[in-house]
Amino acid sequence: MDLQEIFFYFFSFMVLGIGSITAFSKNLLRAAFALFFVLFGMAGFYILLGADFLAIVQILVYAGGISVLLIFGTMLTGDVSKPEMSSPSFHGVYTFIIGIAFLTLILGVLKSTKWSEMPISTMEPTTNSIGKLLLTEYLLPFEVVSFLLLAAMIGALVLIIKKESHES
Amino acid sequence: MNLDGYLTISAALFALGLIMFLSKKNSIAILMGVELILNAAALNFVAFAHFRPSLGSQLDGQIFAIFIILLAAAEAVVALAIALAVFQKHQHVRADKLTELHG
Repeated sequence: MDLQEIFFYFFSFMVLGIGSITAFSKNLLRAAFALFFVLFGMAGFYILLGADFLAIVQILVYAGGISVLLIFGTMLTGDVSKPEMSSPSFHGVYTFIIGIAFLTLILGVLKSTKWSEMPISTMEPTTNSIGKLLLTEYLLPFEVVSFLLLAAMIGALVLIIKKESHES
Repeated sequence: MNLDGYLTISAALFALGLIMFLSKKNSIAILMGVELILNAAALNFVAFAHFRPSLGSQLDGQIFAIFIILLAAAEAVVALAIALAVFQKHQHVRADKLTELHG
């Protein structure tokens, strides 16, 4: 068992074990903090797959931004004094069955499909070529996404500010 | 590790997100389920980009994953703004009790 495999199993435990805490915890704050570690584990997978730039983006945007945003959202919209039952679930058994059925379906398809793998043997820095691709081949999606981010930012401000001025 | 290992992890993460998305009552928890699902999809893209590089370049999948992360950020911002606005009005964000759309 080489080092890469050890890290793979470590990260899969991190993602799936802590991810199940996120999915099944009754305490929403605990789920939000568990999600933070799941997102870190995903960054580890990206490093194992040779995507160094993507791993850093994952840590910066997901683990640093979105999970902090979710923790703030949890605290602002919930009863912080008694968080034990802040994330109740309903039809728990049925949704669990649906999830397991979906998983077995996908795993069955995976087992019956033979992918012809040709893995990249050399790992080299990807930042340079990703930057070039984003400004040449993927320029239109890049601009569309930046416009979408601007729209999302303004939209979030409008949603909050309108309510405040409405009350006063 | 081979491609199947990563795809299995991704499928299991998607199933966790699906369970969370379907079963939770709090809308912030539903948002967390969506984040898990988006992460599973991004892991699939990167795994395929690494093990089966496409015609153009090996980085197509990684760029797609970057766009997924950006879209997830935009989605989280807007969804949390909606949740805060709903909380200011109703004092809760329980998705099963929010039945009226017109404020």
